[in-house]
Amino acid sequence: MGKIVFAGAMSHVLDPEYYDRACGAVGRQTVEAVMAEIARMGERLSARKPDALIVVADDHLNAFSFNAVPALCVRIGRDVQRMTQDHAEAFDKVLEHMPDRYPLHEDLANAILEQGLEAGFDLALSWEAPVDHAFLSPVNTMHGARPIPPLVPIWVNCFVAPQPTARRCFAFGQHIARVVARSPWNVGIIATGGLSHFPELSLPRVGETDTVFDRKLIHWMESGKHEPLLELTTGELHKAGEHEFLNWMVLIGAVTPARADVRYFGELRRINMAAVEWSLP
Amino acid sequence: MSRYAVNSLLYRLKKEPDFRARFTADAAAALAGLDLTEAERSAFIARDMRKINELGGYLHLVMSIPGLAAH
Repeated sequence: MGKIVFAGAMSHVLDPEYYDRACGAVGRQTVEAVMAEIARMGERLSARKPDALIVVADDHLNAFSFNAVPALCVRIGRDVQRMTQDHAEAFDKVLEHMPDRYPLHEDLANAILEQGLEAGFDLALSWEAPVDHAFLSPVNTMHGARPIPPLVPIWVNCFVAPQPTARRCFAFGQHIARVVARSPWNVGIIATGGLSHFPELSLPRVGETDTVFDRKLIHWMESGKHEPLLELTTGELHKAGEHEFLNWMVLIGAVTPARADVRYFGELRRINMAAVEWSLP
Repeated sequence: MSRYAVNSLLYRLKKEPDFRARFTADAAAALAGLDLTEAERSAFIARDMRKINELGGYLHLVMSIPGLAAH
């Protein structure tokens, strides 16, 4: 019988240069501090020898064009390539020094997809979509020079309205937990992004965060009170700059009713940085 | 205002270096024939990313187009 052996969520632009440019020395110090915690989380993940690592993250209009924007998409196939961008700017630059290709856990990805369709989740699938910083910045920070386990990338549409609901993301996470429990594998799961930043995806509001909203989310995660999280609307997440919390909702569904331990929370002008780990039975 | 017209153009500017080069050399010519409102066309020609975002352009695109990104 399979088991989720590690669950963690974290901010995903893990680039000291980016935050140095955006926020000065305090930006560099803050992201280096959260990266140190994420690296320690990675050591704990590796110690549990996972057969696969599920990564729930969002696309920043890199993997999917306006040809199709899936609400929930499972990456299948044998391996996945990192997104490439000529003359990369901003958060795209962090990818430049990362490995090009990553093996996938094909059987687990197919099981989540196939059993999901059978269970009523109309999941999209992709054999070709690349992964951007939302996936690879945390994965590489967690592992450093250690081998990365086979990945199962899962996208949640966090930005292009209409997005899936928080409740639906949570239910999908519960589905993932059932698939893992029926499988023979020990599985790690991470969700990435956030916490609050870029409210209403408005350029003039870049630099604003919502610490009160972040603290509310953290309280519910720490106390294992997941019912209020299900009531979150995409509208209020949009207003507070909590778009990417939808990724976290998938993870919370997968581990509910486990309680979270905050490994790092740091306020920064551009984004509030967080690293959170769940205590699993 | 067309969310699709603005964003599909932003996407091309990010992902198609040749199109980006044509736009950089002569924005009005590169946009000729595209289905944009006058406000959208003017904002792109002025490289006014704040206005493009206001017109529906996705933040992560306006912040990451090589050479044109708002920071």
